[in-house]
Amino acid sequence: MKMRRQVKSMWIEILIFALLIATAVTIATLRDLFAAAMLSGIFSLLCACLFTLMDAVDVAFTEAAVGAGISTVLMLGALALTGSREDQQPMRVGPFVVVLLTGAMLLYGTLDMPSYGDPAAPIHKHVAPEYIAGTAAEFGLPNIVTAILGSYRGFDTLGETAVIFTAGVGVMALLLGRRRRRDPLDSEAPCDDTQGGSV
Amino acid sequence: MRMREKVLPRVAAKAFIPLILLFGLYVQFHGDFGPGGGFQAGVIFAAGFVLFGLIFGLETLQQVVPWSIVERAVALGLLLYGGVGVTCLLRGGNFLEYNALDHHSSMHGQHLGLLLIELGVGLTVAATMLAIFYALAGRERA
Amino acid sequence: MIVLDILSWALLVFGAGLCVIGGIGLLRFPDVYTRAHAAGINDTLGSWAILLGLMLQAGLGLVTVKLAMLGIFLAMVGPVTGHALLKAAYAYGVAVQNEDEKAGEEHVD
Repeated sequence: MKMRRQVKSMWIEILIFALLIATAVTIATLRDLFAAAMLSGIFSLLCACLFTLMDAVDVAFTEAAVGAGISTVLMLGALALTGSREDQQPMRVGPFVVVLLTGAMLLYGTLDMPSYGDPAAPIHKHVAPEYIAGTAAEFGLPNIVTAILGSYRGFDTLGETAVIFTAGVGVMALLLGRRRRRDPLDSEAPCDDTQGGSV
Repeated sequence: MRMREKVLPRVAAKAFIPLILLFGLYVQFHGDFGPGGGFQAGVIFAAGFVLFGLIFGLETLQQVVPWSIVERAVALGLLLYGGVGVTCLLRGGNFLEYNALDHHSSMHGQHLGLLLIELGVGLTVAATMLAIFYALAGRERA
Repeated sequence: MIVLDILSWALLVFGAGLCVIGGIGLLRFPDVYTRAHAAGINDTLGSWAILLGLMLQAGLGLVTVKLAMLGIFLAMVGPVTGHALLKAAYAYGVAVQNEDEKAGEEHVD
């Protein structure tokens, strides 16, 4: 029974991977940036489906919310400010070959890694059993992911939050130093949105 | 588009924005018991406010959530996270050792620590997404 | 129970078939406005059939309530989003394809 379930989800995974490759190739070759922004939202949604198949629900949640939700809106907002078509660039052979070689070396490197879900992999022998056993004993919480994120690896989460903070500060420094479209405090009618709504 | 022409999206948005914000709060505080936590909740919260800004106009959104509040919230979240760590230091433990937050029961200390840091993460993420939206939507076309 | 299984199978296959029909319509129709008609099937009857099939599998419980709320959310948000999208397309000036082959009359604001 377990073998059959593994085989069935394998076909769905193959389908999702094929769709991911097709979407990625289309994004790279399209010159209409609006369509590319929409397709990158679809890419994130397919990744969220893939993560759910792999039983990583927290990651799928975050990927769907960030990638398919707010990232698309922000990219469309950026597109409204710049042009919406990419200029035609000539195909250059040198960088293409370098990228292909680097990708091939990375793929060759993954041949040495333990196979997916292998219970004898080092990560399942040293750290993971300690976290799984420790979560029930020390926290009494059902969600092991939050316990690892917040407490066992709290430094990493502090660094992550600092990265998000730095990104926000960087965007503010780059985009808000100059003049703004309208002083936000002297608008006559709050509902008069000649520029606000996008509908 | 004038506001009176946008009747349908406006009514639907009025029905949904409170639910989106409520769901964001649910995800934030139930991160310990199910999928969720600070990052997801911050993004959902920001998405609710972005929807408000898209339907009702950026100026109305800036009256609801002024720029000064967004600026301060970006820093306040990270400060909360670091502050929890320093508080653990001051109460006798290591940096970010939540056991030290409650001297009687280390499990309560861990719960309190996780709650506070998730709150900090959610605050920073929501404020950063909203700040980027303000920065992009508030500019003229180049 | 076998009846519930057959019923949920029928609903799931029906819903999936409707989604495929919507997808074919999305590809074959001539312009944006008619394509949105085809895509509307996915949001309304397509997803509701799939959700009903899943609800029958889940039985009575919290999961069924969550699926029902999902269905209500989709039924409210889908048509509103389609309306907003098409209104924006019309305001932008996307051409409407007339049926007497006066192709490409532009409504430029």
